[in-house]
Amino acid sequence: MLKRDTLPRSLSARLVAGSAVLALLVVAAFGVLVYAVTTLDDATKRERHAKAVTAETLQLERLVLDLDTGLRGFVLSGKQDLLAPWTSARAALPGQKRAFLRLASTTADERRRARTLVTSIDQYVADYAVPVVDIARTSPAATRQQIVSLEGASQLKTVRGHFADFLSRESALAAARTSAAQRRSNEAIAAAVAGLIASALLIVGFGLYLSRSIARPAQAVAQGAARLAGGDLTTRLVPQGVGEIEELTRAFNEMAERLEASRRELEEQNERLRESERAKSDLVSIVAHELRTPLASVLGFTSVLLQREVTEEQRREYLGIIEAQAHRLAALVNDFLDVQHLEEGRLSIAQELVDVGSVVREQTELFAGQSPKHLLDVSLPPTPLPVRGDSNRLAQVVANLLSNAIKYSPGGGVVRVAGKQADHVVRVSIQDEGVGIPPELQRDIFGKFVRGHATANGIEGSGLGLAISRSLVEAHGGRIDFKSTTGRGSTFWFELPSASPD
Amino acid sequence: MTAITETAAKTVLICEDDANLRTLVRLALGEEGYCFYEAPDGPSGLALARRTRPDLIVLDLMLPGRSGLDVLQELRTSTDLAETPVIVISAWSHSDDAAVEAGADRFVAKPFDPDELRDAAVALLEDDRAQA
Repeated sequence: MLKRDTLPRSLSARLVAGSAVLALLVVAAFGVLVYAVTTLDDATKRERHAKAVTAETLQLERLVLDLDTGLRGFVLSGKQDLLAPWTSARAALPGQKRAFLRLASTTADERRRARTLVTSIDQYVADYAVPVVDIARTSPAATRQQIVSLEGASQLKTVRGHFADFLSRESALAAARTSAAQRRSNEAIAAAVAGLIASALLIVGFGLYLSRSIARPAQAVAQGAARLAGGDLTTRLVPQGVGEIEELTRAFNEMAERLEASRRELEEQNERLRESERAKSDLVSIVAHELRTPLASVLGFTSVLLQREVTEEQRREYLGIIEAQAHRLAALVNDFLDVQHLEEGRLSIAQELVDVGSVVREQTELFAGQSPKHLLDVSLPPTPLPVRGDSNRLAQVVANLLSNAIKYSPGGGVVRVAGKQADHVVRVSIQDEGVGIPPELQRDIFGKFVRGHATANGIEGSGLGLAISRSLVEAHGGRIDFKSTTGRGSTFWFELPSASPD
Repeated sequence: MTAITETAAKTVLICEDDANLRTLVRLALGEEGYCFYEAPDGPSGLALARRTRPDLIVLDLMLPGRSGLDVLQELRTSTDLAETPVIVISAWSHSDDAAVEAGADRFVAKPFDPDELRDAAVALLEDDRAQA
């Protein structure tokens, strides 16, 4: 029995080896069959030969009997014409002996026995027959004695005994040879038949093996591929078969795995796209709403001015409203564009050395003149607060936070603006004494269009300022946060990595 | 939030968060001699409606505190304000169906023409008078 690990791993090697073994077996079986046929043929030849030997032997015996018959006739009658069988037999004898000896020479034993037979004939002819005939010619009476006749009978008996012996031995030999050949032939035929049956069984077995190791796994792969094509990407095959076939199932599984992974990825991507589409459509809807409110004031007051009689005082008031709302519209449009650019990562942020201290100082001066109810208290170190970034965008952040501080403290008060540098971080904080942010809104305060109760208090804004500010601060590698107590005010601060002072 | 007391004058409640638009609504309806109440958010609008029982309510949908739709549904399920005519004004131009379903008599999209709003108000108040 072969151990499993001594078998070749590759399927094609196994197929070649299996076919070779089968071919050898079939050739061997046919070889044995050919041998059986040859053996039978040989036996037939031997039998024919044995028959020929027997025929020659009988012919020789007849000649000897002819000699004896002629001899007896002549001796007993003295008539010359009765000697005719003797004469013809003597003439034919040498040729017949040669023919006999030539045939009876297949084995040393046969040759020896043939020679013994021939020798006994020669003895009979030379020692008895020829002298008796010569004597009978010269003195016929002498040979008619009983003794001569007895001597002749004895001599002939010996010769005939040799004949009988030779013939029986020859026949026994022929029988033995035939039966041996028959036996060998039978054995060979049995072996050949057994070999052919074994070959047939092995061919069937080989077919089963092919089916099990190729056809069935191939069918499984085909079915799996059909399922896969039908859209069931979870299809996996049980690895089966050997060598190349097993590799095929493994490769199939790998392919299915990749397909499934890429489909999952596509679905996730799709989901993200859908989400961003939804967000975009929400944004469009919100933008439309936010734009319509100031637009309603602009159009409505314009219509009032055009169609109604108004006093000069009213005219100025309404024009003021129209201008303010038009500015609000312009600011909203800018904010929307900023948000979109920030979300798409398209907002360009310059990388220059900026002194955050002077940015804060400039913005505070701008706002100081706008609201007489508020006191802006600025606290900055005498040295610059250097960061790397975009001075306009940082000014936008500071302006947003200052504007919120003022808007959300409608009762006025102190707005404390402070800047400092510590541990490679520049920090700016803006503290107001306003309405504060209700706790339930604090989590979402940096989201878009979150305005708290601002509208109820008549505080204007796009609801985008903090969202934009956070994006800008983060784009500078910094962070922004706040602390707030309802009714006591809020403190917003942001931190940026300070630039090395080179 | 002060009512100008005038016995014959109809009262209108303006429930709108934008101060400029409240002014504009007042201007649009002003020539008809109505008397106005103003509320900047949902809860105060509802409270004022219950207290003053106005002849007409002009209601914004996007209100702080409670949404305009919420306010409208509350009005329609109450006993004394279920029949009060309501004009909904909104920048959500596609919410007209929802507003009418919730019980609004008219829907006016922002931005609105002052004359359109006035005509709607006059029509509703005259209906009201005809029924009375």
